[in-house]
Amino acid sequence: MSADRTCIIFYLLSAVLYFIHNGNSQEGIFNAKHADHCFPSEFLESLSMSMKITKAGFHRDLLYSVEWGKVDHDVKALLVQKMPSGVYMDEYQLETLKHDTGLEVLLDSKVDLEAPEYLSSGFTALVFLSGKHEATVPVHGRYHRPSNSSQKWVTVEIEPPRLLLRSDQCVLPHHEATEAPCTVRNHSICSWLEIRRLEDTGPVSLEIPVGDSSMTLCVCVGTVLTAALSCVFLLRSIWRHGTF
Amino acid sequence: MDVRVCGMFSAAVLFRLVLLCVGVYQDQNLQLKYTDVDYHVFTDASRFITQGESPYRRSTFRYTPVLALMLTPNVLLTAHFGKLLFCGCDLLSGWLLLRLLALRGTSRGSALVCCGLWLLNPLPAGVSTRGNAESVLAALVLSTLLCLECRRLAAAALLFGLSVHMKIYPLTYALPIALSLAEAPSRERGLVPNLVRLFNRDLLLFAAVSGSVFMALNGTFYCIYGWDFLHESYLYHVTRRDIRHNFSPYFYMLYLTAEGSGTGSGIWSGIWSGIWSGSWSGIWSGSWSGSLALVLFVPQLLLVLLSSLAFRSDRPFCCFLHTAVFVSFNKVCTSQYFLWYLCLLPLVVPRLTLGRRRGLALLLLWIVGQALWLSPAYSLEFEGRNSFTLVWMAGLLFLLINSFILGQIIGHYRPIEAQRKKTD
Repeated sequence: MSADRTCIIFYLLSAVLYFIHNGNSQEGIFNAKHADHCFPSEFLESLSMSMKITKAGFHRDLLYSVEWGKVDHDVKALLVQKMPSGVYMDEYQLETLKHDTGLEVLLDSKVDLEAPEYLSSGFTALVFLSGKHEATVPVHGRYHRPSNSSQKWVTVEIEPPRLLLRSDQCVLPHHEATEAPCTVRNHSICSWLEIRRLEDTGPVSLEIPVGDSSMTLCVCVGTVLTAALSCVFLLRSIWRHGTF
Repeated sequence: MDVRVCGMFSAAVLFRLVLLCVGVYQDQNLQLKYTDVDYHVFTDASRFITQGESPYRRSTFRYTPVLALMLTPNVLLTAHFGKLLFCGCDLLSGWLLLRLLALRGTSRGSALVCCGLWLLNPLPAGVSTRGNAESVLAALVLSTLLCLECRRLAAAALLFGLSVHMKIYPLTYALPIALSLAEAPSRERGLVPNLVRLFNRDLLLFAAVSGSVFMALNGTFYCIYGWDFLHESYLYHVTRRDIRHNFSPYFYMLYLTAEGSGTGSGIWSGIWSGIWSGSWSGIWSGSWSGSLALVLFVPQLLLVLLSSLAFRSDRPFCCFLHTAVFVSFNKVCTSQYFLWYLCLLPLVVPRLTLGRRRGLALLLLWIVGQALWLSPAYSLEFEGRNSFTLVWMAGLLFLLINSFILGQIIGHYRPIEAQRKKTD
């Protein structure tokens, strides 16, 4: 009798354990299915991203465009753009654009608006595309070191951004997720799916004029002479016409 | 009140209102904004003050907290309050010019024409309606000069202390003011008694009141905001080496020699950073560019000293000359700086014997000089052409043009002392 009871308890325990285990793995399967359902492979095939740079000179616009096929839930995209030290973004201009055009860009550090390139460091900009497929982000070139060769321009390369996706309707499994702020207000961190198999759009580059340091001596001499000439001319005028 | 005066001021008010409306429309509908970035800097700094924080949390706010305090209604009432205040200061400056010209013996008719040079001039109207604070300082400087003409020394000293607190350049006016307040040296006594006589009661009173106002304001703000206040309000402007293109003739030279001393100024920081980077060329270029920065002060210093001595009898002309020289030979020069001496030009014009055609030709020359600079600067910044050499040469040409125009003004000016001697 006691053996039967032990057997029943044993079977009950193993059944419970089995259901718990199975339930978990079913949940796991459920999650994976849900993620697949969230971003199925046809959807991932239909993804495309392009990046262009427009305008000329020191003030440029970065045009981002992310396209995807039809899907029955909302998709939020996030572009993680690493910027080199040769350019900067104006956080105050971005703030104004957020009010005017709804552009959502978050900078990861305080960017000096006036420092030259050799005294600045790169930073990362997070461009949020909530429901939109395009964004135009203004960037500005910094002054670079004058060149000692006959190079008149310096090329600054901006690598293509990383594309992250998430949706409010599904939860991503943790081992596949990248952590990043949920929205531009940076109140909370969410899990995003990083899309790695995108066609490489290649970096964009901008050319920034630089001074010619081979002319340094000529410029210094010319400037000092002109300033001295003007100064002497004015001193002479004041001496002649002033009352002492 | 005179009908003509009313008419002039009404036209000035209308002109500014039209520009304000254009500004509002342009800001709302076009990509290129009418309002200057500085106005947003002031508003942001005022917002920090209303929240009980330091206005220097706003980066690039390099002014006195008094300005941010004055503009707190921008946050509390309407965003356009600041622009209306600056336009009001414009009109106040016009009225002060009228009073000053009357005191200096100019006829009503010519005084009105000279005021029109300020009130109906698109440059100051544009600058104020764009939200730059230059007209506040113009009003302060003109009221200082008016109080000095009326011999109200305490009021003049108070306004002078406030002006120097707001911007450093009126400090150069201390020399002509001191020389005009001091007693004339007499040949009979020796050097030391003459020097003692220089410091008479008027001069000591002026120095004491303006010094106390300046120290009181600086002390208060230093206690509240600490080192940030001193650095952003004053030290930044003195040590500033902006290598980006601007009207200054020294811009390209400073850009090419900028590295080595980093953003520091002076010989010692240059040498120190050279030693730190471990290179002889670093030390050499550091000390070189450091001493270069010091050398660049010499023309400004010499011209300011000599013009103070030469024209001490005519304070407004002396101040005009000081500011024109200071701006032309400064390491950084933007178009806002022109307003610093433009507000004093109406006081100088009645005594010029230039003749209308010559005057207009000089004005045209000045505008052409600016245009010759703006053209390569535009293609550098917005089209990416490497026109650095052209910008440099245009900067030098602009300096030569400014010096020529100033030389013409000095050569054709009848100082007020000559007038007095004639009537005596």
